[in-house]
Amino acid sequence: MISLAGRDILHAWGKFVFTGIGLGLLIGVTLTMAGVYRGMVDDAQVLLDNSAADLWIVQKDTLGPYAEPSNLPDDTWRAVANMPGVANAANVTYLTMQVVHDGGDTRALVTGIANTGPGSAGWPLRLLAGRQVSKNHYEAVADIASGFKLGDRVHIRRNSYLIVGLTQRMVSSSGDPMIFIPLLDAQQAQFLKSNDAIAQNRRRIQRNPVFNNPRNPEVLPAVLELQESNTQVNAVLVQLKAQAEPAQVAEDIRRWLRLQVYDREQMEGILVGKLIATSARQILMFLVILAVVSAAIVAFIIYTLTMGKIREIAVLKLIGTHNKTIVAMIIQQALALGVIGFIVGKIAATVWAPFFPKYVLLTTQDTISGLIAVLSMCVLASFVAIYAALRVNPADAVGG
Amino acid sequence: MQAYGIKISGLSKSFGSGDTAVHALKQVNMQVAPGEVVGLIGPSGSGKSTLLKCLGAIIEPSAGQMYLGEQLIYDNAWKISDLRALRRDKIGFVFQAPYLIPFLTTLDNVALLPMLAGVSNKEARQRALELLTVLQVEHRAQALPSRLSGGEQQRIAIARGLINRPPVILADEPTAALDSVRALTVIRMLNEIARDYQTAVIVVTHDDKIIPTFRRLYHIRDGITYEEQGQARDIS
Amino acid sequence: MSDFFKQKKLLTVFATIALLATAFIWVLLSSGPLAKIKIVVTEVQERQLEPALFGIGTVEARHTYRIASNTLGRAATLNVDVGASVEAGEILGMIDVVDLDEKINAQAALVDSNKARLSEAQARLDYTSKQAARYRKLLPSRSVSEEIDAAKQHEWTLARNQARSANSELLRAQAELLALHALRNDSYLRAPVSGLIIARHIDPGATVLAGQTLFELIDPEQLWIDVRFDQAGSKHLAQQQPAQIILRSQELQPHTGHVARLEWLADAVTEERRAKVLFTQQPQPAPSIGELAEVTVQLPLLASTPVINNAAIMRQNSQLGVWLIDQQQPVFQPITLGRSDLKGNVQVLSGLSAGQQVVLYSSKALTANSRVQQVEQLVDTP
Repeated sequence: MISLAGRDILHAWGKFVFTGIGLGLLIGVTLTMAGVYRGMVDDAQVLLDNSAADLWIVQKDTLGPYAEPSNLPDDTWRAVANMPGVANAANVTYLTMQVVHDGGDTRALVTGIANTGPGSAGWPLRLLAGRQVSKNHYEAVADIASGFKLGDRVHIRRNSYLIVGLTQRMVSSSGDPMIFIPLLDAQQAQFLKSNDAIAQNRRRIQRNPVFNNPRNPEVLPAVLELQESNTQVNAVLVQLKAQAEPAQVAEDIRRWLRLQVYDREQMEGILVGKLIATSARQILMFLVILAVVSAAIVAFIIYTLTMGKIREIAVLKLIGTHNKTIVAMIIQQALALGVIGFIVGKIAATVWAPFFPKYVLLTTQDTISGLIAVLSMCVLASFVAIYAALRVNPADAVGG
Repeated sequence: MQAYGIKISGLSKSFGSGDTAVHALKQVNMQVAPGEVVGLIGPSGSGKSTLLKCLGAIIEPSAGQMYLGEQLIYDNAWKISDLRALRRDKIGFVFQAPYLIPFLTTLDNVALLPMLAGVSNKEARQRALELLTVLQVEHRAQALPSRLSGGEQQRIAIARGLINRPPVILADEPTAALDSVRALTVIRMLNEIARDYQTAVIVVTHDDKIIPTFRRLYHIRDGITYEEQGQARDIS
Repeated sequence: MSDFFKQKKLLTVFATIALLATAFIWVLLSSGPLAKIKIVVTEVQERQLEPALFGIGTVEARHTYRIASNTLGRAATLNVDVGASVEAGEILGMIDVVDLDEKINAQAALVDSNKARLSEAQARLDYTSKQAARYRKLLPSRSVSEEIDAAKQHEWTLARNQARSANSELLRAQAELLALHALRNDSYLRAPVSGLIIARHIDPGATVLAGQTLFELIDPEQLWIDVRFDQAGSKHLAQQQPAQIILRSQELQPHTGHVARLEWLADAVTEERRAKVLFTQQPQPAPSIGELAEVTVQLPLLASTPVINNAAIMRQNSQLGVWLIDQQQPVFQPITLGRSDLKGNVQVLSGLSAGQQVVLYSSKALTANSRVQQVEQLVDTP
């Protein structure tokens, strides 16, 4: 038995492939949408992985440091480091801001890291080029998504930083590239206002006779310095000793130090559950719509292909072709269309994924479920055409 | 009793019910012997298409009996469960238009039927080629139908109708689109085939070019048939 | 003819299928889990590291002299303003203590008055001493009574004491007059050393309190930089170590200097070690006081050890180490680290030897089962 579906496809090869490419692009968009969703979740997880932390310590009653602003005094880490089970505790600050460079400015998550040597919590785990920061001022490691190159100079608030290292996939949960700078510089960047504001503040304090007492000339500079220094950080990252129980250590810190502590799972819940939940739902809805549209288009295409052959189908029925042969032909064509569409879609999605501004993650699992979904959709969509084909009366082939 | 290619008695067909019922066929009797070529003539609306469709087991009659060879296939109800297999194996169709499958080659168009019946591809194609040779179109075996002339297509359609060696061939206006030379060629071929393969052939037609060639004719009007002796003009 | 077309069509069909299949296979191999991770590999070198310490500081004057008034008064004249160079001993201004002249006059008058009183006491002393001697002479002849003699002796004693007292009063009044004169001298503000006036806190005519700083004076040839170094590496900081200084205002022109003094008081909150760094040669024009400077101190050369770039250091299960490449397979090697320099090179005290190939950069996180492909570089470096 020859393959009727195969012969028909071969006969109208160009049209079939063209249709397949069109469908493939639609499938590619759907796969990319799924990839965008996975990318968002991955962004959140990568942010947590890159901290290399087992526990996050933030201001009491906040969901910080990513979901909510959180401020802690910067000597909190000492108390934390002394808790049983804690191997390392390191300060960290986060501030999303515009970073100025020669080409304009870029939005980035400026992360201040305490330098406790290589492997410090908060330092980027893996570099693509260059080296980690070695000075405790004015050097930076940037993510490649920011567009910066080794040796570039960028301006963050008042200081300029030399890019000494590049990383990949170090992004905030909203996809902004991260730039790592030493903690002291980051604290200054987060707190220090513009020169105008500082000058006004100084004038205001100088006018106050309580602070500006000629009998006590040391008071005024001390007060100004107090006003203009920042001794806060956004969070403390904790690495635990090998045998320590995260839940136990977290509970100890919560009770005795009266701080808020989150472990990895809870942070993931906050990031994925709260921060990206709305965007995720949005994308999911879009995905569903795309899937429905794709199914409709496949149904329409197969129906049109079938209706174009309706006379031949009537003749086939007339001369004695069984229904199952005709149904098989239609389903085989639908599946062939689906396979071509999926291959084109997967290729397209892989090719254009790197050009998206946010990370698109195409997982193998998604590819396989996508294939199954496309093929099932094709089969289901062909039911319309099958219904039409089965309804046609062989008697209509005979005129009169 | 002489074996009949096809025989129907008391065949009736009505569409609809009650006062609006249309009685297309009323108690039609007809029989065609193996090797015989008969014509079926009637004006439009006379029921000849309906009769052809009943003969071809395409539509179900309302009452009557139908024999195909020795087999009773209809006795007020179908006696056969798989009508498509019946049509495939026992009845050959030749239409006014060739209705070839456009995406199959000529050879495959003809070989399709035996393949559907379970014959191996190789043997089916071999048989098809033989038949095409008989019909003198073997040189067009690998061509697609769109590249053939009208006459060639019609011959291939005939080949398709014959390939399964059916005992009955039903031809519906096979010469309507052809000129007189080709029309007579087609009729001649049908006669040869009927003779060589002992096939009963019924030709529905109103083509004056070929009507004189029939030995026997059935006229149908308002669902009623009557027989007539034809002129049996020689066409060899 | 139909055969030719058929062949051509078959060819196109196969070509399309082949193209799609190749593209699909390429996609699967290059981006899925089957894709090889690109890595850049480097060799461990045996070197002597040149560690350095980096800190930022501000330019300050070595000594700041604050010139203040000793008394409450009014700034009568101020002779210099900010930016003026002064010599040692130069008069910078004068404080007018309001009633000082009057007080001096009063005190002088008191001195005169005391002088007069002293004369008076002297005169009485003379007289009474003579009288006492006369009556004493007359006593043995019984011309005067003992009572009168005793009275005259008593008067003499009194007169002696009065004279003494008047003398002391005079001395006191004179001393006080001298004090007032000294005070008047001090109303001239003088520069203690030669230098530059960097601040003037009042204008002429303003009231000044005792002890209120009026001028700030520095020696512009004696500037140094108060630097804060990260506490972590500062153990090896020592005096006389050479330093490179980059001033904010002259970024392209580094200056040389050395560590002049290490501060004993470290900053516990910011965890920095403070030190003072002197210029080898004071830059001209002098930098502003308070200007930011970046200071890099060269520490002594270390012994030769295996050295790696700090980008190669990874953390696996709370252990620090590097990934070695052994026959195309990554193997994690824990190491212990020593000191580092400012260029990102770190000493490896144990775990590696010179010549071993370690993974410097990788496009994805490595595991022991990763398939890897060595490349020259992962990003285009300019």
